Amino acid sequence: MENPLRAGVRLERTAEPCVVVIFGATGDLTKRKLVPALYRLVQERLVPAEFAIVGAARTELSSEEFRANMKEAVAQFSEAKTVDEEVWESFAQGLHYLKVDIGTSADYVNLVAKLDQIDRERGTQGNRVFYLSTAPTLYAEAVRQLGQSGLAKPKEGQKGWVRVIIEKPFGSDLASAQALNRDIHQHLDESQIYRIDHYLGKETVQNLLVFRFANGIYEPLWNRQYIDHVQITNAETVGVEGRGGYYEKAGVVRDMLQNHVFQVLSLVAMEPPASLNSESVRDEKIKAMTAVRPFTPERIRAECVRGQYGAGSINGKQVPGYREEEGVAPDSATETFAMLTMYFDNWRWSGVPFYIRSGKRLAKRVTEIAIQFKDAPHKLFGSEMMEQMTPNQLIIRVQPDEGITMRVAAKVPGQVTRIRDVNMDFRYGASFGVQLAEAYERLLLDCILGDPTLYARTDMTERGWEIVMPILEEWASTKAEAPFPNYEAGTWGPQATHDLLEQAGRRWRRP
Amino acid sequence: MSSEIQPSAAANAPQGIDVGRLEKELAANWRNAGDGAESSVTRVCVLNLIIYAAPGEDRAKMDELLDVVTEHAPGRTLVLIADRGAAEARLEAHVSTRCQTASRGAAKQVCGEQVTIEAGGAAVDTAASAIEPLVVPDVPVFLWWKDIPHEEDKLFNRLVELSDRVVIDSLVFDRPHEDLKRLAQIIGARRQYMLASDLNWGRLTSWRNLIASFWDVADYRPHLDAIDEVLVEYDPPDVASGQIAAHALLLVGWLAAELKWQPTGDFVREENNSRWVLLSGERKINVEFRPAADRQGCDGLIATLTLKTSATGAEFYVGINEGWTKLETSARIGDARAVGRVVSYEAKSEGERLSRELSMLSRDEVYERAVASVGQLIEALQKS
Repeated sequence: MENPLRAGVRLERTAEPCVVVIFGATGDLTKRKLVPALYRLVQERLVPAEFAIVGAARTELSSEEFRANMKEAVAQFSEAKTVDEEVWESFAQGLHYLKVDIGTSADYVNLVAKLDQIDRERGTQGNRVFYLSTAPTLYAEAVRQLGQSGLAKPKEGQKGWVRVIIEKPFGSDLASAQALNRDIHQHLDESQIYRIDHYLGKETVQNLLVFRFANGIYEPLWNRQYIDHVQITNAETVGVEGRGGYYEKAGVVRDMLQNHVFQVLSLVAMEPPASLNSESVRDEKIKAMTAVRPFTPERIRAECVRGQYGAGSINGKQVPGYREEEGVAPDSATETFAMLTMYFDNWRWSGVPFYIRSGKRLAKRVTEIAIQFKDAPHKLFGSEMMEQMTPNQLIIRVQPDEGITMRVAAKVPGQVTRIRDVNMDFRYGASFGVQLAEAYERLLLDCILGDPTLYARTDMTERGWEIVMPILEEWASTKAEAPFPNYEAGTWGPQATHDLLEQAGRRWRRP
Repeated sequence: MSSEIQPSAAANAPQGIDVGRLEKELAANWRNAGDGAESSVTRVCVLNLIIYAAPGEDRAKMDELLDVVTEHAPGRTLVLIADRGAAEARLEAHVSTRCQTASRGAAKQVCGEQVTIEAGGAAVDTAASAIEPLVVPDVPVFLWWKDIPHEEDKLFNRLVELSDRVVIDSLVFDRPHEDLKRLAQIIGARRQYMLASDLNWGRLTSWRNLIASFWDVADYRPHLDAIDEVLVEYDPPDVASGQIAAHALLLVGWLAAELKWQPTGDFVREENNSRWVLLSGERKINVEFRPAADRQGCDGLIATLTLKTSATGAEFYVGINEGWTKLETSARIGDARAVGRVVSYEAKSEGERLSRELSMLSRDEVYERAVASVGQLIEALQKS
């Protein structure tokens, strides 16, 4: 039945009653991101009173202890860094903990009972979100157990819904991603599966769709006729932060490129969707990624660069090289930096290189997309006046300092004609002055509302792996040749990345 | 956060103002801001904001408010201080820039610009013609009318024509019944070209959100069509303690408009309480407005709302705490279940509230229906 009081421009979209069950509730993600995000959704009145959270993990904890831990976490990790006592008390009434060993069927019997009890007491109506924030090796088992205990589907005769959020990494290669998809599809429909990529929750990433398809002036230029090349930079200043063991098996291609960066890339390259519904948008994204030119061993050697950082300094502080990090082999061949030259073999992008780089311990933390347009066709102002000039660039900054900059040429005031680049700047912080929502808030709310647009679909996760598999295989087979370490921490990666662009008559932007 | 006002020499001409000179003054201010600033300065213009205010306006308070607005929605502010009672016609203007360092510690200062026009006597009626050429093209124009709007006011009408949206604040209405009825007429008559915002309606958003959220729950939905008792408690406005506060009227107007409750002409007034009977088909809805005994200090605002259904024994409640900082809700269906919660009340400053209105560009149909409904209720009350 429709709610007539929901009409109107001011009332935010609010969710249906539900319980969010977090598997891996004693982990870092729960305290740093998930519970602070859920607390804020409650505080912002975006979820109804009939809402509850169940933390589930192997550790023996009482609900009281879990509440105390989470209160501390919200105070430490929320944007506001404070907890309102009265609001917390009310929030905490819906916050529970249950000891659940992912592989123990009996624990799911207890979970069913707990959820039934919450439905009765808080009116959560059988609606469930299961958030798998566990070790990736447990995803399939958790879904299998949900299926066997009857939790993967609404109860018979009930109208409720069940959704499962799966954290990254989704597989460690194509075969494992396909196997995981096969396993979870035995118990869940695709419509129930929400593969999270927190990059898609970022405001600027969402703004890419608006920027491209709500403005009439960019789309006509958004093609091979006007664009010379595209640079996507995803740079971190941090090292492996105590996750050396994990990173040794992953590397930057698995950790960042095939998920986060490809998601952003697909939004830049996609065709306009027919509508904004989740399937239309995701159809166009996968269509674009299907056009990515396959990597052959020759192309990998000629157009891709791998790197690993050595010791150096970041922000004036000395930092160790990757091989000196805890949990990392002294002769490790894991890449902490990768640069790929990608092409989309379709009408829009034929011949336009997309240079993509991602790495750890680079000079600056930044994620940006730089669209470099072609030179003006005729050098009207003479080479001397133009020599300082760079072609027009459109820079979309995803983080930090979210915004969009257009670089154009302008005449320097004076009696002679001198030309200089100027930036036309749009910054979220300046123009809207609002605090941007945390990516997890947006994504959790989308899942509760049943909107998977910003989540990855099966085909997209598998396509990401398909694209990078030849690179992973080639680099694995030539480990011994890897000239590691080949860049100093605090720089912009191996010299070879700069050489590669220079050979093509281009150069990397300094973000 | 820091703010900085850089006034410049005024252009002064009783017969009019030199717009070209004002623009030059503003350009010079920008150059100066860029030269001397320790941090870089970003000029941003996302809107024009015309403010109409009386000479008694507290300028320091307005400066504080505009600092907040610049942070949220920087642009060109055109402040018109109108002294309608002045014997002599007078029109003066001066310019300033207003800079804010983004609150999240950014190095850049975000700056907007301001033109203050002081008009007196007969010049007030023609002040709109001095404002129009100062409006920055291609960005929306908002008019904040810091007064009670009157349909026969020439300046109001001229500025409305110039603007994409008019912002008022019905909290300041000194005769809420008559003023809201007139507002309904103004909005109805200008529907083709006037979009309206009301800061007092903005103060109801949290309330409306919480009230509406009861019926997002499928189990509760049938009770919405069975409501037959409404109790609104409010802190009576000092300026019009004999009348029901505009805030309370707008809330009931919203419920009546969206739930199709019609006035019956059946009104009872007992001391400070008012009882109105509305009708939905055959169902009578008793609406009681009552001054809140224990919630004072928020002049003219609602303290509690209770909605009951005698047929199904349900009760839905939203109330604000004594400190006016938290909202508490509860839903009770007979003895079966009671669910409640406490959430923060969005205690926005006036500047934040205005900024929110300035982010809206589409017609607020729900507000317009609520005001029209209040107009009908008041008319029925006056006829009874």
